[in-house]
Amino acid sequence: MKCLNRKWRDDAGGIDFIQVVVGLMIVAIAAVGTFQALAYGNDKMNQQMRYRKAMSIARSYVEYWQGRIHTDFDPTDARTRAGNLNQRVDPTELDLGDPTTDADDVMCFVQYGSLDPIDLVETGLGVDYWVINVKVTWYEPDQPGYTEPQSVVFRGTMVSAGL
Amino acid sequence: MNAPCIKLRRDDGWTFIEATISIVIMAIMVLGLTIVLLAFREQLDRSWAVRVMDQYGNDVIEQLTHELRNATDVEVRGSVGNTKAIDIEYLDPIRHDLFRTSRWRADLRNVRITRGNNDLVDPTFPPSRLGAGESYEIVQFTLAPYAEDSPNQWERQDRNRRKQSFLDAAYDIRFKLRYNRNSTEIGGRNWTVEKEYFNRVYVRNMNLIVKKGITD
Repeated sequence: MKCLNRKWRDDAGGIDFIQVVVGLMIVAIAAVGTFQALAYGNDKMNQQMRYRKAMSIARSYVEYWQGRIHTDFDPTDARTRAGNLNQRVDPTELDLGDPTTDADDVMCFVQYGSLDPIDLVETGLGVDYWVINVKVTWYEPDQPGYTEPQSVVFRGTMVSAGL
Repeated sequence: MNAPCIKLRRDDGWTFIEATISIVIMAIMVLGLTIVLLAFREQLDRSWAVRVMDQYGNDVIEQLTHELRNATDVEVRGSVGNTKAIDIEYLDPIRHDLFRTSRWRADLRNVRITRGNNDLVDPTFPPSRLGAGESYEIVQFTLAPYAEDSPNQWERQDRNRRKQSFLDAAYDIRFKLRYNRNSTEIGGRNWTVEKEYFNRVYVRNMNLIVKKGITD
């Protein structure tokens, strides 16, 4: 300890080897930290892109059901009205990733909940409109903290054309 | 313990070994940092280019979807390449006895989508100062009836079960863009990314009385 104190005091001759090595190590650690932060930011942007795409897919599916309810829907069809949240559905492409390989593709599952009729009693029209809930579920590619499935739910309403 | 103390105290110059090792370490670090910085710059440039493409793709899709939601009729005609000219008829927002038409089409030469009186959806795309070897392409710009060109098998089967009134009013918008980053060095590798932007829209007014001209 004594010799170290003397070392810091007697520094008139400029930097020495140890100082250079320590300086380089600090630069190296800072560089690694900076690049890790930038890589993390890039991953977050990709996650946001997938989230937005999932929202777009959900909205498109709501649009489909709005069209169905408007012109092509049988309210007595219990099977259609029940939704398919508990059924297995074919995967839909969410993020293509590298177009030269399928290995990094991120797929999602698009499902809809029960189609619920809403009767605003005061209008006296019977069923005034229908509520549609669409859920899109996907798994983020291997990243710490993302072992649970990600999902978005999009909700829409529609009246039938008869109204 | 004696030797390190002497070493640390002795600050009257560097030995040849110390100087050599320092130069080697610094050279490796500078070289490594340069390679990493160049790689990172390349990654940033690619990432930025893809974000710009995403922004434009989503802009086009959202604005076209918005117009279609308010449309009373749609006419789709063939155009250059894998693109369509889309004529959207909509009710004048002020005069309800007047219908107007907005034409959407792809300008493949200038890589942009125009609408109405050749108005640009986004005048900032493509970026004006692209680097050497960089380019954007419009690969597809189409509006097709529901599931007609869908890669999803269930949707294609579902199409056969739907009523004509639904099929007449449900459309799929597909807008595909490609970003090319060709190497400017001999033997360099080219990089390309292609993304499809998609929305499904139900043209509500086609099945409402506004389609019959009853607007008030």
